[in-house]
Amino acid sequence: MKFKFTKNKVIAAVLIVIVLAAAFWYGGGAPGLQGWRVSSSSPGDTQEFNTDEKLNSNEQAKNQDGTGIFGNNSDNSGNLNDDDKQDDACIPEDVADETEKSTGSEKNDTSPTEGVESRPGGLEGDLSAAEKTELAREMAGGSSPGVEKGSKSYSESQGMVIDTTTGKDKYLTDPVPEGKPVPVEPENVEISDIEHTCTLSVRCDTIIDNIDWLDREKVELVPEDGVIFATAEVTFYEGESVFNVLQREMKKAKIHMEFVNTPVFNSAYIEGINNLYEFDCGELSGWMYKVNGWFPNYGCSRYQLREGDTVEWVYTCSLGIDVGGYYATGE
Amino acid sequence: MLPESNMRDAFSSYHPLVNFSYFTFVFAFSMVFMHPVCLGISLMCAFIYSIYLKGSRAVKFNFKFLLPTMLITAVMNPAFNHEGATILTYLHSGNPLTLESIVYGIAASAMLSAMVCWFSCYNEIMTSDKFVYLFGRIIPSLSLILSMSLRFVPKFKAHIKEVSQAQRCIGRDVSNGGIMERARHGVTILSIMITWALENAIETADSMKSRGYGLAGRTAFSLYRLDNRDKKALGVIFVLGFFVLTGGILGGLKWRYFPTMKGKASGIFSVSLWLAYLGLCLVPVIVDRVEEHQWKATQSKI
Repeated sequence: MKFKFTKNKVIAAVLIVIVLAAAFWYGGGAPGLQGWRVSSSSPGDTQEFNTDEKLNSNEQAKNQDGTGIFGNNSDNSGNLNDDDKQDDACIPEDVADETEKSTGSEKNDTSPTEGVESRPGGLEGDLSAAEKTELAREMAGGSSPGVEKGSKSYSESQGMVIDTTTGKDKYLTDPVPEGKPVPVEPENVEISDIEHTCTLSVRCDTIIDNIDWLDREKVELVPEDGVIFATAEVTFYEGESVFNVLQREMKKAKIHMEFVNTPVFNSAYIEGINNLYEFDCGELSGWMYKVNGWFPNYGCSRYQLREGDTVEWVYTCSLGIDVGGYYATGE
Repeated sequence: MLPESNMRDAFSSYHPLVNFSYFTFVFAFSMVFMHPVCLGISLMCAFIYSIYLKGSRAVKFNFKFLLPTMLITAVMNPAFNHEGATILTYLHSGNPLTLESIVYGIAASAMLSAMVCWFSCYNEIMTSDKFVYLFGRIIPSLSLILSMSLRFVPKFKAHIKEVSQAQRCIGRDVSNGGIMERARHGVTILSIMITWALENAIETADSMKSRGYGLAGRTAFSLYRLDNRDKKALGVIFVLGFFVLTGGILGGLKWRYFPTMKGKASGIFSVSLWLAYLGLCLVPVIVDRVEEHQWKATQSKI
């Protein structure tokens, strides 16, 4: 049978293409995912220009990292991704880095061009196609730079019971990296009245960068400097978890905080602090916590505090990529 | 087309288009506007109109069923929703109890019961013949399905009574025998009902088809004429409806519940919108009062 072009078939094909294009353009309801043009603040930039400049920027990145002294190509792949993502993947990544550079929205920390760190937070919409595919790949593949892989032998020696079939413990937690505390189940803990102190802070800086994405009714809730609870020494009792301290201090400071207990992970999940809720700033947003600079891979009710710990609650707009706590799944 | 036995309800004698557009506006506004004043107006008018239409039956339903539903919904919300800037106290679970979540619970329950109430009024006024009259030409099969499914539950209820009475005569009702036997009888009745319902649906469709339903030139069971009285009522409904609609789009009925309660609560524009909304909701009651007054006036002249 010969294929015939009828009017309806052509219309259907065009419709499908339009829908796919619109879906690609939409990308998702989170900062930096929508659009496909190079950022509007640098209209002169073209794709070509970016690829020409790529080596240059790469070198710059190396220098900032302090690893640039030794040749470029050899540690190129190793540096950008800890796992084996190959050289061919570097090209779009560099393009992305370069565009971010030219928009001038890069941050001043030491690793602005290092993989995921520089991703979507700073860009206001408008990604090129290359950037977008790169971003999707990052989300499927690479964790944030500070995020280490867990060590099974270390975790087991610390008393974590890991199921051999799934490689996780019974609350679906992967092994923790070497040197980090393993989760402690709150129901097994006796809270004594020995007082200790730790440092607590609650911040939402990332919202300020993506204020356009925030629920319009909630803009007034965001402090100008992004600090909801300024860094302070707080008291906790031996055996208490990060969650206990957050709950008590928020109550004391009269700051609103809502959580929900999730039995699957045996932990509380913080839905919102100061009425800033998960998903309020794009569909990849929510609250995360880090202790001594590390984002634990388990819930805050299971992190037992030690004297002098620094607990930081930060709001992310991109699953942790913008705060450096992104955990890759499905490796 | 004005049955004397039902003098109170003059609005249902209007053209179906008038009835339908009235309910369309009222349903849409009741569902969309979360402004406390709008919800209050809607709930109050729905209560008044349902009592006006159905008398003591409605009073019983409203207080026995709607009021408890309202209370439960209002209490449920703050138990699960803890958003809001005004923290009143902390719940046993550790989450805050906020003023906003309580108020939002009350608002949501008001909307829910207003809608239930409005739909009970709709069922009184928009009978299936009116619905088919309006949509039988444009969307014949859909309107038949809609009117059949809307009729289904009352018809099923009436028929199950009939069947169970017939079964009781031969000692096979759910009230006869021991527990096992009763259950068996119940299942038999249910199976009779399902067979009947399926067969009845096919029969209805066949009989409609054999009478040429949906063909050109067919007329409806009830005939209506859009006369001056209907046009006037339609004009009033549309003017009020579009005024409220544009006002709503322009933000005159804006209200937010979270994180703090805030919204348009004063000003000539907002107040005029409220009055228009109140007028719209009360159209049938006003129509009925006026017709009743006229009827009495003509009577006394004779």
